Amino acid sequence: MQADERTQWVPAAVSTDILDGTVVPAALPTGPIAVWRTASGELHANGDRCPHRGMRLSHGFVRGNSLSCIYHGWRYGRDGGCEHIPAHPGLEPPKSINCGPLPVAEANGVVWVAAQAPEEAPAEIEGFEALKSMLFCATPAAIAEAAGGALKTELGGTPAHLVTAERTPSETFVVALVPTGTDVASKLAAATALEALRRVTESAT
Amino acid sequence: MSDQAMRDAWFPVGLLSGLTRAGTASMLMGEDITVGLDDTGAPSVDCGGRKLPTVERFGHLWTSLGAPEKDLFTIPEADHPERTLVDVGVVRVKCSPLRAVENFLDIAHFPFVHTDILGEEDHPEVNNYKVEVRKDEDEVWATKVEFYQPQAAASAGGGIITEYMYRVPAPTCSVLYKTCPPRPGEWDVICLFVQPLTEELCDVWPWMALFDDTSTITDLIHFQQLIFLQDRSILENQIPKKLPLDPALETPTRADLTSVAYRRWLKRHDYTYGAQLVAE
Amino acid sequence: MILYDYILSPSCYKVRLLASLLGVKLELRAVDFHPGREHKGDELLALNPAGSIPILVDGEDVLTESAAILSYIAAKHGQNWLATSDAGEVGAQQQWLSFSHRLTSALGGARLVEMLHFPGDLAALQEAGIAALRELEAALFARRLTGQTFLVGDRITIADIACFPYVALAPDGSVSLDPYASIRIWMRAIRAQPRFIEMPGIHRLHELAPDPLAGDA
Ligand SMILES: N[C@@H](CCC(=O)N[C@@H](CS)C(=O)NCC(=O)O)C(=O)O
Ligand code: FES
Ligand SMILES: [Fe+2]
Repeated sequence: MQADERTQWVPAAVSTDILDGTVVPAALPTGPIAVWRTASGELHANGDRCPHRGMRLSHGFVRGNSLSCIYHGWRYGRDGGCEHIPAHPGLEPPKSINCGPLPVAEANGVVWVAAQAPEEAPAEIEGFEALKSMLFCATPAAIAEAAGGALKTELGGTPAHLVTAERTPSETFVVALVPTGTDVASKLAAATALEALRRVTESAT
Repeated sequence: MSDQAMRDAWFPVGLLSGLTRAGTASMLMGEDITVGLDDTGAPSVDCGGRKLPTVERFGHLWTSLGAPEKDLFTIPEADHPERTLVDVGVVRVKCSPLRAVENFLDIAHFPFVHTDILGEEDHPEVNNYKVEVRKDEDEVWATKVEFYQPQAAASAGGGIITEYMYRVPAPTCSVLYKTCPPRPGEWDVICLFVQPLTEELCDVWPWMALFDDTSTITDLIHFQQLIFLQDRSILENQIPKKLPLDPALETPTRADLTSVAYRRWLKRHDYTYGAQLVAE
Repeated sequence: MILYDYILSPSCYKVRLLASLLGVKLELRAVDFHPGREHKGDELLALNPAGSIPILVDGEDVLTESAAILSYIAAKHGQNWLATSDAGEVGAQQQWLSFSHRLTSALGGARLVEMLHFPGDLAALQEAGIAALRELEAALFARRLTGQTFLVGDRITIADIACFPYVALAPDGSVSLDPYASIRIWMRAIRAQPRFIEMPGIHRLHELAPDPLAGDA
């Protein structure tokens, strides 16, 4: 990845899809990541690989302010530093053991992550909030084309923005944004329309 | 990098009790093989028209793509007539064959992966134990490995401190000896025989030789399948898939001395099929 | 009640799980499914000619098909795990019990191919599995929009128990669960139930146990 790509915010999840005290898998162009919230809701992200034996940290668990690996229970704090190694309860883990914290921010109800700290906060789209994320087996360009040539579109009668991130050459992570305060019935219609858009896009590719 | 050292090693390719004349399509180190019985009813392995050498031992058929210098290892303890020999059956795992063996050598994961059976979170400590490469046999051994276990075996009534010994007699095989609850002084023998299909895919054939007069064979099989399938979901989610032999890539502690010795031994022998030598 | 059981069978696990959640005691009879194929032997075929497990024997009653067994145990020991008489709930429960069979054949089929060497068209099974997961995700998202967590009514029911195991074990058949946020939240709510039990491949939520380090801090 180019240096300027590394400092770009990438949409990784919908904010409300990450409950307090849980961890979820996501991805950057550099590879898989784990995004998690402390028990009190503070958001963090790091590489999805435990420095000990490489287990994916998104399979782990959160207690209080730390993320633990499911394999041997190594515990990482908010700065990514290893705080505790259960097999050696008396040992102070060396400072060098760190699971690689990543810059993370929230805007429009979307969780954005970057490989390296970008200079600015993620751009807000005024008046819109995240509805739902979906993985499309298609490129961002194919999605834009199916949506009528642009990622600013309309879903089931509601104005919508599609935020996209290419995960692999054939898979794109999509978050649909709808106007803040959209009622439940319109949200349902928009989610159904997003499914339809995926069908159209995927059958075209 | 050459795979010759591994091609000259022995690998399990099937249960003797499951061989048929029709044969079963399988794979060994990326090559297609057919495992079955020949016209005379003898076990045979075919690789593109070539007959591979075979050994029948521990309830399994073993073969090699090359020309093994050494006979397949033995497990003298398993010969005791009162032991129950248990063919656990095959489980396919999308991981490096070497990672599968390394996981088997590890006790520190018991509290988190085999919770309330082989370990519990309140007793996670791994005490110092002894690791050596035995020169005559050229095998990795770990001894005096102790761990607190809530339910050490199908036959265990409650929590006990279990003592283990681990042995790596071949690049993708490990034998463990552990305290045998119904027979103090004897060891239960549990083996993990791994067939490398590719560098990132393997068939695992667990096998056991136990003293247990109370459990049925099915109970014993299920206990082992329960344990191994808990490991499978870990093994399929390690990154990278291949076992890193570059010490800078992962972070061992004292609890991992067996794994450290195993990795060094693999490297020294060029047993690198399924390994990653430098960061990719 | 005697359950003819196999530790790696998600269908048997449904029954063990519901029994545990309801505090009902089962007598387990281990069936050598793999490698022994005991379910295709005379003794078990006499109980279930279909040659599948689970089988539940309760006095005179012999039941096969996990969905039927779940309904039976809930009717006897946990009425509130069944749909009420509301037509919408009855229909939804039946729909998800039927849907659970699609999960079994698609995701369960892929799992048997990938894990235990069973024959099958892996790509087709995975494709059908992904289609089913997308449907479930869409349905659970719609439930979340109306403030609900589970599939039927306003509480956990046998519909959730019937669908949970094969979904949670989709990765065993190389079908990723990573893309499905609403499924993840639903699975977590099931795993957080009091008296939840795990099966191999489905880990418990360790964070629900007291932190052994608490107090040290
Ligand atoms: N429809 C049955 C299917 C259960 C099922 O697939 N059981 C598997 C074990 S997990 C089985 O017995 N398979 C044997 C076969 O289908 O031949 C149910 O829900 O009980
Ligand atoms: S791999 Fe994470 S603690 Fe060991
Ligand atoms: Fe294990």
